[in-house]
Amino acid sequence: MPMLPFALSFYFSLSTAFYFHVGEREEKCIIEDIPSDTLVTGTFKTQQWDFRRQDFLESAPGLGMFVTVTTYNDEVLLSKLHGPQGRFYFTSHSPGEHIICLESNSTRLVSFGGSKLRIHLEIRVGQHDLDAAIAQAKDKVNEVSFKLEHLIEQIEQIVKEQNYQRDREENFRMISEDTNSNVLWWAFAQTLIFIAIGIFQMKSLKNFFIAKKLV
Amino acid sequence: MGDNIWRPCPVLLLAGLLPALLPGTASFTPSLDSDFTFTLPAGQKECFYQPMPLKASLEIEYQVLDGAGLDIDFHLASPEGRTLVFEQRKSDGVHTVETEDGDYMFCFDNTFSTISEKVIFFELILDNMGEQEQEQEDWKKYITGTDMLDMKLEDILESINSIKARLSKSGHIQTLLRAFEARDRNIQESNFDRVNFWSMVNLVVMVVVSAIQVYMLKSLFEDKRKSRT
Repeated sequence: MPMLPFALSFYFSLSTAFYFHVGEREEKCIIEDIPSDTLVTGTFKTQQWDFRRQDFLESAPGLGMFVTVTTYNDEVLLSKLHGPQGRFYFTSHSPGEHIICLESNSTRLVSFGGSKLRIHLEIRVGQHDLDAAIAQAKDKVNEVSFKLEHLIEQIEQIVKEQNYQRDREENFRMISEDTNSNVLWWAFAQTLIFIAIGIFQMKSLKNFFIAKKLV
Repeated sequence: MGDNIWRPCPVLLLAGLLPALLPGTASFTPSLDSDFTFTLPAGQKECFYQPMPLKASLEIEYQVLDGAGLDIDFHLASPEGRTLVFEQRKSDGVHTVETEDGDYMFCFDNTFSTISEKVIFFELILDNMGEQEQEQEDWKKYITGTDMLDMKLEDILESINSIKARLSKSGHIQTLLRAFEARDRNIQESNFDRVNFWSMVNLVVMVVVSAIQVYMLKSLFEDKRKSRT
């Protein structure tokens, strides 16, 4: 019984969530730069454009969505076919950019004018759903304890991000220092080679003129 | 409490920040956040929509993280289609609007660029989404607050709510700093590649030019010798 109000709130909450339009066979990707060992939860809902009514249907019957998650070195973490509405999870093994792609499995070869999908999307990084827990709380004490757990998760996520930020900044500093030293090194090398070429040119021309009895 | 769940509560959680509107909590500070990073190919335009209730506040902040020129066109329209903000070739921007009821549309336009794709980061901050709910919560507080334990728990809940709001703000600032750093790092990486590439080209050109010089001088004298004989 507690699942029913939760399921309905899931439906209602997504219908007022952030959304965008895509063509039927188009793939839409989102980049998430996250630290390691982080749980990412995504919830989506698809609506199909009804050509006759010139409006979006409440859902997209018979249409599935491919959800693919790849890391920055092309390792596939998740690749699954969901229905028109669904929820997906993945945990990152290594820090970095993860690319979440959504594509519908529409088999229509030609998407005639006006055929598009509306996708509602919600992506949560590092924290579990507080609403579901609150809905199941029997009394105030439970509610307080759920909220405290959530606060702890929030703090842990912020600390994780901070550590990851430190790594990235070190990377950044390394690149800056490399660029700085490379500029100097290239200038030195070019000066030396320039001088060497100058000496070589003068020597070879002098020998040439002497050989040709012009000097 | 059951009643509030059945209402269409706009509960948005994105990127580590929390839904502000929780049924049964008194005097909560509703503040919702969401952020996205995506790649916009050259010559394309991408639009996003956000449903908003009346008298809430919508703040949009965007930044171009990567792509030659680091600029993009931005367009924000109200639910009736009226243009609220139109910016051209900017690399970042912040806009806050007091909302009416309906779907707000904002678009990023990369049609002016023919070859370079842009990586765009944007953040939506929604405030006061549950203003209408708050009077009801106060009324409920009077009914349930007669028990001493309940009142103490309400105090604890309120502290927790304020801590949560502040943590959300910290997370939000962290996301922003991350975006700034990502952009600076991208610029620096392209600097590094540029320095290496053009220095190498410079060196090769110098060597080739000097070899050609020597060769041409020598060839001038060769011809003269031949014409003499």
